[in-house]
Formats: sequence, C-alpha cells, structure tokens
Amino acid sequence: MSSNLSALLSATFYVPGYEHLVELIHQRDELARRRLASLDLAVYDPSGALLASSAVDPRAEILDLGAVVTAMADPPPRVMVTFDARYDAGVFPYRPHHYGYLHRSQSSDPSLYYAVNAVLGGVPDRVGATNLNNFETYVLRRHPSAARYSVLLGCLARWAPVEAQVFAHYGTERVLHEVTLQPRQHVEVPLEPERGGHRVDRVELKSLYRLASYVVGRRDGSDDLVLFDHLFTYFK
Amino acid sequence: MSHPLRALARRLVGVRRTPTYYLPWLTRPGLECTLVLHNVEARFKPGYNEGPFPAAVAQHDADGRLVQSYAVVVADSTDVIEVPLIPTEAGCGIVTVRGARLHSDLYVTLSDGDAYTATHGRGEFVEAYPPWTRALLTVAGAGLALVGRTLGTFARDQYVYLGAESRSHVLLMNLSNVVNRVRVTPHQDGGRLSSRLVAIPPMGTHLLDVASLARAPARGTAVLRLRLEGNAWFNLYLVGAGPRDLLGPLSLMHVK
Repeated sequence: MSSNLSALLSATFYVPGYEHLVELIHQRDELARRRLASLDLAVYDPSGALLASSAVDPRAEILDLGAVVTAMADPPPRVMVTFDARYDAGVFPYRPHHYGYLHRSQSSDPSLYYAVNAVLGGVPDRVGATNLNNFETYVLRRHPSAARYSVLLGCLARWAPVEAQVFAHYGTERVLHEVTLQPRQHVEVPLEPERGGHRVDRVELKSLYRLASYVVGRRDGSDDLVLFDHLFTYFK
Repeated sequence: MSHPLRALARRLVGVRRTPTYYLPWLTRPGLECTLVLHNVEARFKPGYNEGPFPAAVAQHDADGRLVQSYAVVVADSTDVIEVPLIPTEAGCGIVTVRGARLHSDLYVTLSDGDAYTATHGRGEFVEAYPPWTRALLTVAGAGLALVGRTLGTFARDQYVYLGAESRSHVLLMNLSNVVNRVRVTPHQDGGRLSSRLVAIPPMGTHLLDVASLARAPARGTAVLRLRLEGNAWFNLYLVGAGPRDLLGPLSLMHVK
C-alpha cells in the first residue's frame, strides 16, 4: 500500500424495509484498476453511538446495507452508515464515488439511484473562513404535491459539535429550523408541506462544518421514498 | 490514453467540443416529464445576480430530431420555471439548455400526477466531427458492426440492477453529430455475458432494457456490471423502475 494515500469520508442512511445496495466503486472497471486501498464501515444510531464497525474488503463490489444492519441486535429505525476510504490519487485523479440503489420491498414506486454524500473528513472546507462556510440548496416543485419532504443530516465531525440552519421557503416566507449535532449524531428535519397557502419550494442548509445531507421525499399514504438526493453547494 | 494524447487525437480528427448543458427526458402514458429551470446559484455572484436570465431549450427525440424548441426566461435568481416536455412515440431523448448566465444544476422530473422523482442534468459538451471524419467513422463503424464491434474511443463502466420488484434500465445518450455505435458487454458473477451493439443517431438516445441482458432472479436483485464502448462521446442515465417496470412510475438518475 502506498504511504501517500488520500482520504474520503462518505455517509448514507439506512431505514428498514428497503433493499439498499452500495457500489463501493462507481464505474468499477473489469480489471478493477479503479479500486480503493482500504475501506472501513461504521454504523451509528441517531445519538451518535457506534453500533458496529468493520473493515470491508476493497476488492468487493457491492455492499448490501440491509444485510449489515439486520445482522445487528435490535437496530434503531434509522442508522447512519459511514464509509471511510483511502485511495491512491493516481488511480482517482478527482476522487472515488460510492453510489447507492434503493427500493422498498413491495413498493409500487420505482427504484432510486443516488450518489453517496461525501463529507471529506468532516473538517471545515476552508481554514480562516469567517462566514458560515457550507451553504447548500435544493429546489422543489410546488405540484404535484402528494409527497412530504425532509432533510436528513449527519455529523461526521470528529470532535466538535456542528450547528446548522435549515431554511424552508414558502413563496416569500421562510421558516428556520436550527439543529445542533454532536459528532456522529444524525437527525431528520421534517419540512412543513405548506404555509400560508404556499407549498415548500426550496430548502437551504447552512453549517459551519460540512454535514452529510440528503433531501428526502416520501409519497403521501405509502410513505415510500420518491426522492433521496444531495443538495447543491453553490457557495462555500 | 493520456490527456495530451487525447487532445492531439481530437485535433487530428478535427472534432469540436461545444459546452452544452443537457438532461435526459422520458415520457410514458400517465407519466409526465417536466424540466425545472432556475438560477439560484446566481444570487451569490455580484454582477451576475440580476435577471432576467433567458434560455433556449431544445427537446430532441430518440432519433435525434428536434421535437420542440422553447424560449424561456428565468426572471430573477429565486424564480423557478417549469417546462413540460412533449410526449412522443419513442418517449425518450435529450434536452439541451443554452443560456449565457444559466449554469445552475437544472432538474428533470417524472410525475405520475401525485408525486415526482427528480435528477439533475450535466454541464458538459457536445462533439461535432467534420464531414471527412464522419464519413470515415461511417465506413469503419459499419465494417466493425458486421462482427459486433465498434471503435472504442470512449468507454464507461456502470452497474445495473435487475430484480422481480425493481430494476434499473440505461438511457444511452449520443452527444455527437455522428452515428454512435455503442457496444454493451454485461458481466455477472465474474462471467461475461453476450455483447450487443446499439447504433444511436446523432443527438439520439436508446433505452436499454436491463431485462434483455439477463434473467431476473426469483428473489432479490441481481447486479450486472456493464462495459460500454462507443465511437463518439456518449453518456448515460439510469432509469429506475418498480414492479410495473416501464409501465409504472419511473425515476431518472445521473452518473458520474
């Protein structure tokens, strides 16, 4: 193994009832030239307590998160799964990516495919920043409206708590949700579907440290996931 | 091939790359496809954050022909414009968005009337080859196609999923002005399955049915790794399906 490796820390969330497969390397080639040097997996409950950890064979291709979590005794309704990877920058000039495939058992909704959120070690993106230095945005459609939205947040900082602000926009009105997460804690912030006759049309996340973050949409009635996507960082 | 060699090869064949923001589109009976255009990013760019932001949207059918052009104006950096796309018999294609100051991540959504799925497009490029290169590619491509091969100028690897309850198809997008012969070779459980060759017209698309590549297991989901090689620039999106497959609600998802 090279002594000059780069690090990548990524995270996703697992809830029971879903087939949830993670590609350890997106765009793995036949000869596996694109491969990680090492990969450590850890599973945390919402309070940040470590439930399980293990080294994953970097030659593996697909990880079944359902198998990982159901092997644990009495797992909570939502866990955060972190992927701590080391890789050779010569093999991945930008960086590797993990991707996930999601489908709820017996759901009539389609499968979803998503890029696992990279948090890059959970450290400030810029040293010396005087402003909140992570600002992410996601635009939502006003119609059709038979879905509820929320933001899943996970703190991958190693020692310090992270204060975050989630703004939900309803036309010209915006509603603030303030969140403080200790290391490895995670939370789902539900967004009120409507205010003052306006549907939620945009969500923004501000935080001092980069969080693992997903916008989540669930169909009314069935609660099946119809959206599991990353926000966009336009300003950092 | 290294970057300098690729750049040299591009100069030798005379290819031009035009920066282009593109997205996939997909329609089915009962499934509407709508673009969501905005310029939220602009509000952080002094000097660029005042609208209006005009944009030209071009919807291409699976055969590459232009279905419809749309002239849209995003009024300001918090405005959101929805553009419902026209269904066609083929039901899929590429849509491009051109706007001098419109660089945000734009969305394409698929709605069954109650809820919708969404993904974003790509700010990349479209390749234009000169006539002599197109003629050469036509002759060489046709010859290689006789033995099921293509000029493997561009290659991608992609996992796809096949189960009884869900699966992911592949929407192949030819981002060039030549016929793109894409060779698809599936691998499963360490073994190579039979390859197929797909000819995609310029700016056209092909919806590759994952069930045509392998048999779905009775339980769980099989994972296939595809090796895709094309004679010109191409990209792909995954099309997520549920138990009703392409007759039910669908999702689109970008890849890197």
